[in-house]
Amino acid sequence: MIATEQATKITERIAHLREKVLSTKPTVCTERARFYTEVYRDNEEQPVIIKRALALQKTLEKMTIFIDEGELIVGNQSSGHRAAPIFPEYAVDWLPEEMDELDKRPGDAFFITEEHKEELKKIAKWWKGKVLWDRGRALMTQELRDLQDSAIIKATGNLTSGDAHIAVDFQKILEVGLRGYFEEIELHHKRVDHSNREGVRKDKFYSALAIGLESFQAFILRYRDMAIYLSKESNDPHRVTELHRIAENCAVIAEEPPRDFYQALQLVYFVQLILQIESNGHSVSLGRLDQYLYPFYQKDLEAGKLTEAFASELLENTWIKLLSVNKIRPWSHTRFSAGGPLYQNVTIGGQTIEGKDAVNELSFLILESVGRMKLTQPNLSVRFHKGISEEFMMASMKVIEKGFGMPSFNNDEVVIPELINMGVEREDAYNYSAIGCIEIAVPGKWGYRCTGMSFLNLMRVFLATLHNGFDSQSGQTFQKGIGNFTNFSSYDELFKAWQHQIHYYTRKTVEIDTAVDTALEEHVPDILCSAFVDSCISRGKTIKEGGSKYDFISGLQVGIANLGNALAAIKKLVFEEGKIGREELMEALEGNFEGKEGEKIRQLLLNFAPKYGNDDDYVDLLLRDAYMEFIEELKNYHTTRHGRGPIGCRYYAGTSSISANVPSGAVVPATPDGRKAFTPVAEGSSPSSGTDLRGPTAVFKSVAKLPTEEIMGGVLLNQKLSPAAIQKDADKHKLISVIRTFFAELKGWHVQYNIVSRETLLAAKKDPEKYRDLVVRIAGYSAFFTTLSPDTQDDIIARTEHSLNF
Amino acid sequence: MIFNIQRYSTHDGDGIRTLIFYKGCPLQCQWCSNPESQSFGQSVLYDSKSCKNFGDCALTVPEAISQNSNNGLEIKRELITDPEKLRDVCASKALTISGESLRVDELLAEVEKDLPFYREDGGVTLSGGEPLAQGKELVLLLQRLRQRSINTNMETSLHVKWALVERTIGLVNTFLVDLKHTDPVKFRQYINGNAHLVMENLEKLAYFGVNVVVRVPVIPGFNNSESEIQSMVDFVSTIKGINEIHFLPYHTFGVEKYRMLGMDYLFDSKAQLGEEELLPYIQYAESQGFKTKIGG
Repeated sequence: MIATEQATKITERIAHLREKVLSTKPTVCTERARFYTEVYRDNEEQPVIIKRALALQKTLEKMTIFIDEGELIVGNQSSGHRAAPIFPEYAVDWLPEEMDELDKRPGDAFFITEEHKEELKKIAKWWKGKVLWDRGRALMTQELRDLQDSAIIKATGNLTSGDAHIAVDFQKILEVGLRGYFEEIELHHKRVDHSNREGVRKDKFYSALAIGLESFQAFILRYRDMAIYLSKESNDPHRVTELHRIAENCAVIAEEPPRDFYQALQLVYFVQLILQIESNGHSVSLGRLDQYLYPFYQKDLEAGKLTEAFASELLENTWIKLLSVNKIRPWSHTRFSAGGPLYQNVTIGGQTIEGKDAVNELSFLILESVGRMKLTQPNLSVRFHKGISEEFMMASMKVIEKGFGMPSFNNDEVVIPELINMGVEREDAYNYSAIGCIEIAVPGKWGYRCTGMSFLNLMRVFLATLHNGFDSQSGQTFQKGIGNFTNFSSYDELFKAWQHQIHYYTRKTVEIDTAVDTALEEHVPDILCSAFVDSCISRGKTIKEGGSKYDFISGLQVGIANLGNALAAIKKLVFEEGKIGREELMEALEGNFEGKEGEKIRQLLLNFAPKYGNDDDYVDLLLRDAYMEFIEELKNYHTTRHGRGPIGCRYYAGTSSISANVPSGAVVPATPDGRKAFTPVAEGSSPSSGTDLRGPTAVFKSVAKLPTEEIMGGVLLNQKLSPAAIQKDADKHKLISVIRTFFAELKGWHVQYNIVSRETLLAAKKDPEKYRDLVVRIAGYSAFFTTLSPDTQDDIIARTEHSLNF
Repeated sequence: MIFNIQRYSTHDGDGIRTLIFYKGCPLQCQWCSNPESQSFGQSVLYDSKSCKNFGDCALTVPEAISQNSNNGLEIKRELITDPEKLRDVCASKALTISGESLRVDELLAEVEKDLPFYREDGGVTLSGGEPLAQGKELVLLLQRLRQRSINTNMETSLHVKWALVERTIGLVNTFLVDLKHTDPVKFRQYINGNAHLVMENLEKLAYFGVNVVVRVPVIPGFNNSESEIQSMVDFVSTIKGINEIHFLPYHTFGVEKYRMLGMDYLFDSKAQLGEEELLPYIQYAESQGFKTKIGG
């Protein structure tokens, strides 16, 4: 591999651009909302797809654009950096309600001027009763609305924004250029049979695509013109040359396939922007950037047109530009996606379709440039496979060491065989990429939402199981049970009651999804996103209508570890050992473990029952069985695209629930795993905090006992590392070795590492119970942090950096 | 008797290892970071910070444990004749019993849980306490590990009679030998042991051609001086076949356990030893031809 350490320094330009975006306070931009409202209002007679094409056109024509001093990659989503556009057609009621509080949010605050507030109030008024949210809710039965309101099933994000979680076919875009799409559309448009209903619809679809693509081209050309204008204004000859290059790039890619690496990257960024102006679904991902850009990179390098340093600078500029894109969510949804993330994923590594190691020089460059930027975008994933080089894993460790949680690892060894098993063609399976955070799809061939945005709160279901189906938080019995826990005489009876409840709730998640998907299809079809996904154009269908080649989706199940721990605690302490009586347990739960007796029961639940994450079959297998009830039931259902074109149209399980564990826990009373009421549940598939006491190998083994091949929506595992634990190369190799076993032999699905910060240590010192699993290290010795003396703890705290994130 | 089994150990031997900690040691190093490892019987650990005052322990052995006025316990350890009775009594695990007799097959089952992680160079490290001071189950375990081709390391002070060492030769891939001092007076004074015994055993062990890594704990107030470290390095230089010396810096990770055992910590609980302070020792050892490492 070529020298990759070369460009370890950030150029002044990049440092400046980075600082500028980071120091920009998020604001709200009303331009898109204004244009979309005007077009919808003035074109009421048009079918929705044409309305949306015209609205996109007007926005792209009229929205403010800018090129910042020093920028090499251009394009902006809204009138300013980090200014979130508004998408009123999805949901807008919440805005007037929340607008005075936006800047006071404890996280993800936004600033908004009084003038914009007034404008948005008017806009919101016009949209009353017309938005996706209202229409989706109207499609639901009262029961489904009640379920949503109860927060047992949460699908707010799906109805307040587009669903996205998709990567388009960048490979093809770079190959055929925008012009190529016109040719293809025209070919199919000509063949439309206008004598039937389908033909009328297709005709409008193709017309909309053409309008959309034309406006995209015009948008790119606006940047060409702006670059030319700025070059005339500039006195700096160096900048003038750069601006000319930018103008030339835009002129070429507005029409033709890109000719070099720079143009290819610029076009990728434009596509990324356009998709996030058209719709506000998040997790719009870039797919396997190191693969489809590599031919350009290699060619330019060989021709002497590009240096590694300049390529790095372009990539770094792109990462900053990705961070500049922003999204504002209602507070109810924000809590599930803390940190304002757009989850624009870049995937590197993995295998070629021939099964060879796909890592190339560009993979290193991307990895290291992301490491230098230390931003929250893009979300970087490395595809692991058995043959991945130690060198690339070491380079990944060096980025992980920086402590911003990237890259995370996905595992080819489980994903590829399972994709093939699901009916995905071999060469597509080998070409999968991560989407959003950890979920996966085949870029450009897969429909929306390979996972995301509808959450099933497992512990609420479990508590209903104990209460004969009664949900104490909503005061409703959604599914009458088969008895109260106090009357169950065995674990088997409890399990039967669980089956009875979880089958019902599984079906309800599908019913809610079906209503949501129907509303999304009818009211907010995406135009350009459909154009860039195979086989929408040839079928004459949007993705939502069944245009994509594959269609598999998942919601997210929250509270995985808690479910296993609760089952194990009850089985062992109530039914096997009789340490805790049934009534006694229920009383303790109702009283939130208050009082000495309640606390004692909580301590028994915490300390005397096996916990998921310690490689103990007792609990790991109970969890597996309980989760399988959900998974098997899910197989009975299809998505709304079933029979309309795509392969699959099925659901699978998913656990990549981001920060949903906090708001999900906030609506769950005390649970039999010893968790107190309204505190967070466990995140993703990770063990409950403070319960995995046997180290990372035990965690890996527990996680690998989950039916990972069935959880294609992602088996999210977060691990904490003390900074000193991977400081030395020898330690990095050891960590790599453990990861290799986890993936290659145990078929784990995913892992990502957080470096323990000073803040975490301080919190652990204050609240040891939640951090009993926290391992710290000084030279050659590791210990559980909470077992150390206060002096030693202080010493370690003093030696640990503040949160390593910018 | 075992007091801990620690998976994913990365500091005591190569690769990923499972550490088995045997209870009982002929030495009493005052800085020992695992003070519960010193006695051969079970120990009672009590962590007042997590005590919730449930009082079950006092009910179980009223003669030895009583609740005091400020929400803590008064423990008379000498009056606890059968600590096992207390094992599962404390709901919050503020009071725990250290030391458990595990059968060889139970140990093996635990070791095999991480089998896929050992890969080429990992395996099992027997530690302590002093593993060589254990009875014949130790040899039995080593034999079973050998049968399963699991790499074994032994972390030892060698402060036992030679016969106890000899019985394990051929069953241990690498001995990690603690060399604490070469001065018999200091050795006696701080550790209550015989330096000659360790040095002789080390020479014999090397003579058998087994793989030995010498590990020197660097303890301020005991051996943290160039002359003392040099004399240890010089001694090892005289032995053929030992090529590697590791320096383990003093740390205070064990201090809290002294409190939990009702023991006094006689060393400086706030002393620190930065890695940079070990650099002269590393340089010296390397000048004498040794491979070196800081930490395990």
